[in-house]
Amino acid sequence: MKNAKIFLITLSMAAMFAVSAEAGPREDIIAGFMAQGAGPADPAKGKAMYNANYGTGKVETPKCQSCHGATPQAGGETRTAKPIDPMAVSKAPDRFTDKKKVDKWFLRNCRGVIGRECTAQEKVDFIAFMVTQ
Amino acid sequence: MSDNPTQNKAETGRESRLVKVWDLPTRVFHWSLVSMVFIGIITGYIAPEWWMGLHVWAGYITVTLLVFRLVWGMFGSEYARLETFTFSPVHILEHMKEIISLRPVRHYIGHNPSGAVMIFALLFVLSVITVSGLLVLGGEENQGPLAGAASYAISEIAAPIHNIFVIILIAMIVMHVSGVILEGKLTGENLVSSMFTGLKRVPKGTPPLVHRRARPFAAFLVTATFFAIGGSLLAAFATMPPSGLRHLPANETYETECGDCHAAFHPSLLPAKSWADMMATLDDHFGEDASLDAETANEIALYLAEYAGEEWDTEAANRFRVLDPKHPMQITATPYWVRKHDEIDPETFKRKGIGVKSNCSGCHTDHYSGRFDDQKIKIPEVKVK
Repeated sequence: MKNAKIFLITLSMAAMFAVSAEAGPREDIIAGFMAQGAGPADPAKGKAMYNANYGTGKVETPKCQSCHGATPQAGGETRTAKPIDPMAVSKAPDRFTDKKKVDKWFLRNCRGVIGRECTAQEKVDFIAFMVTQ
Repeated sequence: MSDNPTQNKAETGRESRLVKVWDLPTRVFHWSLVSMVFIGIITGYIAPEWWMGLHVWAGYITVTLLVFRLVWGMFGSEYARLETFTFSPVHILEHMKEIISLRPVRHYIGHNPSGAVMIFALLFVLSVITVSGLLVLGGEENQGPLAGAASYAISEIAAPIHNIFVIILIAMIVMHVSGVILEGKLTGENLVSSMFTGLKRVPKGTPPLVHRRARPFAAFLVTATFFAIGGSLLAAFATMPPSGLRHLPANETYETECGDCHAAFHPSLLPAKSWADMMATLDDHFGEDASLDAETANEIALYLAEYAGEEWDTEAANRFRVLDPKHPMQITATPYWVRKHDEIDPETFKRKGIGVKSNCSGCHTDHYSGRFDDQKIKIPEVKVK
């Protein structure tokens, strides 16, 4: 038990350093995904996810860009014409800082766009890409 | 009975003189009523919904005019008095026969018997129209002095009465105007100009007329008393809160969870079953996965059930309880929604500030209360592209 805890903390710290040098709510979230089995984040894979045309989820939303805009910096619009803040952390600094929101939207949007839930690895890759944007 | 029917011009064929027949208040009443009926018809049939305020004011002024006319019918000058144009049925039928035969008819200084019937009928029809209108205003729109007293069910009875009597009124106006033209041709009188100048031409042989004068002070007292009593009665009714319009407490969970993606619709806009079904199928919510954790979903479901359409007696709640069987969770698919928005160009919905059909707040500035008043509709003007 104690060993597992130490392992988790070590993993979390590794994750923190992998993404950002500073600790904060976003780093905690990433650490959480790492605890679920994600390895080191790869922003390039996150970028590929954002630009991919899946078409395996719901017909209305074949890709991330359907709602979030052509680029992470652009910002998007819901199908009901509500503006969506950009995904890029540089444009919207509070992105990926609310654990509840992150879980809610990954669950909904992965199922809606890809047709399945995302893996912890995909989530950290995606967040890592948005942090670089 | 009219005391002064005189021989007509064709028979006497002699010089005639002008006498004052319609006093100023009667003439002002006549043309004011014409204006109010005109405004009422235009705002009721043609003008967009948000002109309803003007329609209602035309109604209030019409009531005032009707009350005034009845009072003036007792205290006005000779020919304004109701008794001077109250004829027996036999007399009325005779006069109608004369008109229909298109022969020169007997001359009346005041209203002739057929015209008199029309006046009483108009007063009655206008009373029905204004009273039923007030009930619709209170029951359906939750506005006016009867907002609290009149339920939506009452307005469902009053609305068709209002509509049918307006059609009757229009038919009567056509008859009234045709009668004036016909009577003018048969007697050689210009009745329209008489209603402006108050003067009518009487044949020379007419004996000096004994005109009773108006009693404006008495008329004022009776009118004031009537409005004091009627007004306080309506004011008492007006203190009742609008019937079936509840207070909707804000629910932050509802507003953020649902409001993240679309306007947080007023819960009264769908019946409880629609909300329950919707909350049970969030993973496929109008083509999107809108899953919520059980605790959040439960809180929202309870809130929606507590304030669902059945719990309100507003126009919107009553109307949207009738669903499209194919889309029982979609407000914009309900027959009433479709009917009320079918004249709006689809491009209009794309304007900045609206975006999509489901964005009620784009035009209905009072959407948050669930009232959706006609006067509160404001369609944004600027186009996005």
